[in-house]
Amino acid sequence: MKLKRIVQAALVLLFLGVAKVPLEERVTERLRAENLLSPPLTLEVRENVGQMSFAAALGGLRSLVASIVYLEAYTAFENSEWAKVDSLFQLITRLQPRMVSYWEQAAAHMAYDAAAYYLKSEEIEPAVRGRLFQEHVDRGIAFLEEGLTYLPDSARLWARLGDVYKYRVKSPKKAAEAYWKAFECGRQPFLQRATAYELSVLPDEEDQRRAYELLKIRYGEGDRYPTVIAKIKQFEEKFGVPLAVRIPEAMPQRSDADPGMNAGPNVDVEGR
Amino acid sequence: MKGSYARFSLRRILALASATLTQLIRMRILVFLLIFSAIVVGVGFVFPLPTPEQQLKLLKDVSFGALQFFSVAMAVVATALLLPRDLEDRTLYTILAKPVPRHEYLLGKLLGLLALIGGGLIVMDLILCGVLYVRQEMVFQEFIAALRSEGLETPESTAEVRLMVDQQGLSWTLHAGVFAVFLKAAVISSLALMISTFASSTLFTVVCTFCAVIIGHGQQLAREFFFHRHLDGIWEKAASTVFAILAPDLQMFDIVDNVINGEAVPSGAMLSMTGMGAMYVVGYLIVAHLLFVEKEL
Repeated sequence: MKLKRIVQAALVLLFLGVAKVPLEERVTERLRAENLLSPPLTLEVRENVGQMSFAAALGGLRSLVASIVYLEAYTAFENSEWAKVDSLFQLITRLQPRMVSYWEQAAAHMAYDAAAYYLKSEEIEPAVRGRLFQEHVDRGIAFLEEGLTYLPDSARLWARLGDVYKYRVKSPKKAAEAYWKAFECGRQPFLQRATAYELSVLPDEEDQRRAYELLKIRYGEGDRYPTVIAKIKQFEEKFGVPLAVRIPEAMPQRSDADPGMNAGPNVDVEGR
Repeated sequence: MKGSYARFSLRRILALASATLTQLIRMRILVFLLIFSAIVVGVGFVFPLPTPEQQLKLLKDVSFGALQFFSVAMAVVATALLLPRDLEDRTLYTILAKPVPRHEYLLGKLLGLLALIGGGLIVMDLILCGVLYVRQEMVFQEFIAALRSEGLETPESTAEVRLMVDQQGLSWTLHAGVFAVFLKAAVISSLALMISTFASSTLFTVVCTFCAVIIGHGQQLAREFFFHRHLDGIWEKAASTVFAILAPDLQMFDIVDNVINGEAVPSGAMLSMTGMGAMYVVGYLIVAHLLFVEKEL
């Protein structure tokens, strides 16, 4: 091989290298902006996943590493190792922050499974139980709120946040806000109904009037569930709506029947 | 006999590519496709997971992991074997004794290899799509049956489950992911071919290319340091600059992670990625030609 050719080859390689760096930077930025490339892994992730998994994650197998850690988290969940479930889901969500179901499951494990486990655990002092329950509910909310920083338009995450506020925190106001955000993101009718149900139990008349308006919209669009009808009839009485404008149906016998709403977690814990 | 002799002939290149493809198929490389099928079917139907999304995601994760392994291993090892095997069999002398320019020989070899990788990826893509479609429908039916048994089946809940399953199910973007895997393999193959033109042995090519692949996957970190000035030391900066200049950015092709998650792939993004891939391949081929054109064999 002649020296001249080696020098030429080295020069081409150098030119290619210098020319490609700004292009790589631009294309990477573009792919990140379009959510096709994930942000670089942090040192915290490297410490937690171990060297092999970190190398695999760097080598384009980040999703696979997340799935493997998920299996580990599932085993921890089956063994009720809640601290481990928490830390493993932190890792999973760092690896794949745009995967809705990871944030959703992390929150559900904390706010429902772990919280209920501690609340019902007879080995723990009653005062501590309540504290642990509250801490895990808060942890579930923290997962959902963090997930929403990555996926602010996720109707599913907003709806799950609404569920936690409704079933765990017992805050209809916050639940209504979250359900409304979910409705704005996904335009799914049951989320509009969910917002109305939460607003309807608030003491403020302004909230109740808004609940009435939303329920009338749902009724107008064909939702004839007993709950919708019952609540509309209650508001018609309360606000003195003229008879000519009232809905024709009679007060239903079963006022709690709305299969769409029963799809939420069945988690009402005694005394909460 | 004096005939018209073209300095560049596509027919000659295609003949070389076809011979290379046959040579590689004879090495029983495609046995991997059977292993891949077993993995996909195993993961698709054996692993019971609590959520339908995770069942489908795991199937895609493992399948794409196998796809990447196949393409990278093939790109490194098969390319590293090409030139030494031709030297050993003395076919290289037979070919180059004819009026075949050396750049055509290199192009033919690379195209043959890329045809093998591309063909393999297409077959694996089809297997994955078939299994994923069947699994997706099964998961949907199982979920709806569970809702029905609990008295929770409504048009709204059915629509939500459909949306959830479809997002993790079969979609066109998966093919974009497979194409990105192919682009990465093409870059690695051309890099390995370039190294093999000056390498002293197959092992040297394999080791050097694997090192370049590892550095290429950490290249974004190196560029981050280079551009965003996280490092103060001169030596650290110099090292990150050298890595950023010499190694290709292979992480750029790792859109698979997010494609699996159901992200849409705009055509502009695919074009940018393809353009970058083509730039690396052409660049490394030029260097390979410069090193090979006057090499004494």
